[in-house]
Amino acid sequence: MVEKSHLNEIHKKLGARFTEFAGFEMPIQFSSIKDEHLTVRKSVGLFDVSHMSNVWITGEDAEKLISLTTVEDASKISDKKSQYTAILREDGTVIDDTIFMHLGEKFMMIPNAGMSETVTKWLNEKAEEYNVCATTENVSKDFVILAIQGPKSRETLQKLTDTDLKTVGFFGCQYIDIAGVNCIISHTGYTGELGFELNITPPKKAEDLFLKILDAGKEFGIKPIGLGARDTLRLEKGFILAGNEFKGGRTPLEAVMSWTINWDHDFIGKDALLKQKEKGDYQRLTSMICTEKGIPRPGCEIHKDGKKVGIVTSGTMSPCLNTGIAMGYVHPDYREKEFILDIIIRDKPVKAKVVRPPIVPKDWISQI
Amino acid sequence: MVDEVRDDLKYTDSHEWLRLEGKVAKVGITDHAQSQLTDIVFVELPEVGKEVKKGDELCVVESVKSVSELYAPISGKIANVNKSLEETPETINESPYDKGWLVEIEVTNKSEIDGLLDANSYKKII
Repeated sequence: MVEKSHLNEIHKKLGARFTEFAGFEMPIQFSSIKDEHLTVRKSVGLFDVSHMSNVWITGEDAEKLISLTTVEDASKISDKKSQYTAILREDGTVIDDTIFMHLGEKFMMIPNAGMSETVTKWLNEKAEEYNVCATTENVSKDFVILAIQGPKSRETLQKLTDTDLKTVGFFGCQYIDIAGVNCIISHTGYTGELGFELNITPPKKAEDLFLKILDAGKEFGIKPIGLGARDTLRLEKGFILAGNEFKGGRTPLEAVMSWTINWDHDFIGKDALLKQKEKGDYQRLTSMICTEKGIPRPGCEIHKDGKKVGIVTSGTMSPCLNTGIAMGYVHPDYREKEFILDIIIRDKPVKAKVVRPPIVPKDWISQI
Repeated sequence: MVDEVRDDLKYTDSHEWLRLEGKVAKVGITDHAQSQLTDIVFVELPEVGKEVKKGDELCVVESVKSVSELYAPISGKIANVNKSLEETPETINESPYDKGWLVEIEVTNKSEIDGLLDANSYKKII
């Protein structure tokens, strides 16, 4: 059964084309992926990301449960702060990457689309197994999530609230009143641009808010943005898409997320990671820019001197660079900066250069 | 916006169009196909001189998110390809029936054209 966003009717009226993603029918594009992509990079765009999950973690040991089940030590994350992290199996592979928000006594976690039940079940099972007094509740159906992203996002949203949005720092989160609707705001996003995400309940209230934000951003040329541009925007910044980059079981070390790991606490999967770290000989997620014509796609092999050295997990045409870009897992010997690799597209090698993310730099706009 | 279907062309149910000019058939993708694909960003053209059979893969057209194969609507030899599309693939979006043509095929068996759809039949399937 395919779920629809609460804003489905509004999307239809705005001319959306739909796609199915992780069990949700969501807009893939409104105008065109390229146009929407550049709108977010240059000005501001509004995304319905209700396919993402909402999970409450409550109880006296809520913080302990997060520290146990993620690579983050939640005691280090103060109230009104959010954190990007990963939930691991005992073997160190990633179940999901997620953001959790510290909201007073409670924590809200945002697992990926289609992951709400898996994560809820896992956390509740681990709470019981480790005798931790905390409850995880899947409330995804009660929330709409909107993302407002782009250099003009703050100015747009500021028109609708009395709270000075400059006081909401990067990765800050709090309750806020936007256009008369009480929601949870976080200064986060998936585009690499200035941006905010709003968690709204009950969903009914989001319909009016969605239109009010579009209205507030009119002077900046705001547009509704689909999942197509969401994917190209994140890939240009080297952000992971769980369904692509964790497919088949990958550890945070392989996914080059070691910066998220707090080694000073005990968590599920830690022993396996320590073993892998010591061994060192594992493939690592690598960003690449094509130096020849061609668009890499997931599943394309990566070769060096005719030998397979890796596989593409995400690839697209970069709307900012107008060249093919990709992320894939490559053996450590072949991923030095500027290293030239062959991506095999329809049996033909296309040359690509290894780069350090972000693939598209922050000051891209000033270079055009 | 209604997709344009031209009366003087022949069509396939996989959304290629064909215009016979003497012995040579010009081939492209329909307005409907380009509007479904949106933002065409890459085209892979066949080599001139290559022999193709009706139904063979002819070219690859890619949008930001999708890869679509195009099939030969007719058998013959590739006489010419629209090289300019390699630099400006968006021409297919802007002018699918004129500047955005893809290949010219020297037709070996003209009777194959009878098996293609006329404008009215094509309109019914889009």
